Amino acid sequence: MDTILSVKDLEVEFATYGGTVKAVRGVSFDVTRGETLAIVGESGCGKSVTVQSLMGLIPMPPGKITGGTATLNGKNILNLPPAEANKFRGVEVGMIFQDPMSSLNPTMTIGDQIAETLKVHRGKSDQEAFKLAVELLERTHIPEAPKRAKQYPFEFSGGMLQRAMIAQSLACNPAILIADEPTTALDVTIQAQILELMLELQRTENMSIILITHDLAVVARMADRVAVMYAGQVIESGTVDDIFYRSSHPYTLGLKEAMPSNTHDRDKSLSPILGSPPDLFKPPVGCGYCARCPYAMTICAEHLPTATAISESHEARCWLHHRTAPDIEELHQLEDQDAG
Amino acid sequence: MLVYTLKRLFAGVITVWFIATATFIAMHQVPGDPLMNDKAVSAEIRANLEAKYGLDKPVTEQYFIFLGNMLSGDFGISFTQQNRRVNDIIRDHFPISAILGLLAIFFAATGGVLWGALTAIYRNRLPDIVIMFLVILGISVPSFVFAALGQLFLVNLNSLFGQSIIPVAGWGTIWHMLMPSMVLGLGTMALLTRLMRSSMLEVVNEDYIKTARAKGLSPTRIFFRHQLRNAILPVITVLGPQIAAITTGGFVVELVFAIPGLGRYFVQAVQQLDYTVIMGTTVFYGAFLVLMVIIVDILYGFIDPRVRLS
Repeated sequence: MDTILSVKDLEVEFATYGGTVKAVRGVSFDVTRGETLAIVGESGCGKSVTVQSLMGLIPMPPGKITGGTATLNGKNILNLPPAEANKFRGVEVGMIFQDPMSSLNPTMTIGDQIAETLKVHRGKSDQEAFKLAVELLERTHIPEAPKRAKQYPFEFSGGMLQRAMIAQSLACNPAILIADEPTTALDVTIQAQILELMLELQRTENMSIILITHDLAVVARMADRVAVMYAGQVIESGTVDDIFYRSSHPYTLGLKEAMPSNTHDRDKSLSPILGSPPDLFKPPVGCGYCARCPYAMTICAEHLPTATAISESHEARCWLHHRTAPDIEELHQLEDQDAG
Repeated sequence: MLVYTLKRLFAGVITVWFIATATFIAMHQVPGDPLMNDKAVSAEIRANLEAKYGLDKPVTEQYFIFLGNMLSGDFGISFTQQNRRVNDIIRDHFPISAILGLLAIFFAATGGVLWGALTAIYRNRLPDIVIMFLVILGISVPSFVFAALGQLFLVNLNSLFGQSIIPVAGWGTIWHMLMPSMVLGLGTMALLTRLMRSSMLEVVNEDYIKTARAKGLSPTRIFFRHQLRNAILPVITVLGPQIAAITTGGFVVELVFAIPGLGRYFVQAVQQLDYTVIMGTTVFYGAFLVLMVIIVDILYGFIDPRVRLS
């Protein structure tokens, strides 16, 4: 497979007054051409920090990339000075953010902001770049694009702004689009439209998408592969079917249990995951999920589980997959369901 | 935009009328009048003078005469300076104050934006600490101290070269204007530096700066195209009143540097209860302030599209 981005054992820390927060603790993943990788996890699990550190967007200091490698088309992208990083930022990797309302410069027209990328990276003239910006807005289905390009962000709705953000990130035909919770700030009908647009553009541009989200419904709709993050680590990764039908980590199971369903078991009450994530000022020695895990064993608190391959595409970091671990009924039930 | 401008102008006229009325009332409440100044005048001369200046009429009538004259652009004749019309005083001396004030504002604004941006970039590092210390000095030390220090500096400079490089006082050439305008602008510069610094620090954390970095723009481009323009908005807002404050409040600096500006006449007139000069200069200054605020508001519309279009 054609791997575009490869991240290995990435570690990111933040020095704060309260001490050092180990926000990302050894994250690895690959992104191949044309696929969508979803990174899922609750707030504070390090999913945003992971992609922002790849893009060189975390403020340093207090942030610091303390370990690991990341290569984009074979070239290192970590800890580059701005001049070097700007050879791939906005060119090979485009990025969109959570809140489109505040992600665009309020004193520049939409068209100028999109054109700016083309002027800087492609050396286009003002007129050329603006014309291309209008075309990009048309590609993201913004009606009356020539007129809208001359307007300012405050004249756009949230959904339209996110379309403009997408148009801007596509300006240089990037190989990867990083979408950091792109629909969280939008209402549900607009969410669906934005996701649809991203899928459409992915097909026409043959680009990869890294989708950061905490919404499992969005994952099911968009992703080819999924990485579930917890306490700064990827605790389970696999294809979207692996994650939803053959969940192999108690946390993934817990997330699914906590999700409302409208098909069956409607009378069943939701079962939330009790407790809260570990304090990353003092990361646990063992498994991060141990304190909340219903199947926790003695070893879980003492030793960090290594990633165990469940199938060729599927991995989980859990001691339950050790050959001497007891069988857990729930894990098998799900596998049976899937088989049946 | 046109409606916006017209609205502002109309409000401005009302404000000026209000200033004129308030000054008129306040002045007539003060005990004494310009005729009982130094030497005693006999009752007949006094009656003649009162008739000449219209002071024998009832106050309301005086008010309407004053308003009428003002509308036709005539502020009358000074009581204390022989046969000198207030319009002439303003015409002769205001341009000097205005040039001095505008130069001072120019120093203050460029300096404030520059130092403010610089301190924000070097936040909590040595340049920031040094500049912010100087800023506190600039805000708390009164301008006559700086004026004296400035003169001392010029005296030393000139004696170092053995000839007059930059004149210590007086008015006439651009060299005369340099030191007084810097001294006059210093306090405002300090104020604007603080404002610019906090505004820059706010903008740096905005999401659109992150977007700009994710777009692969150089730090210089982000600074000039994305941060500066957004951070400068609060500075522009206070610029209007500051222009007026500097232009009208420069009489201390004018006195120290022996500059024949309008400020001196204003202060003199108040001391001598020179009705017409007080009225003329106050209304004129008031109108000037209002005009500056309006100009800044319109300027603001050009920089911030949200103001322009709503």
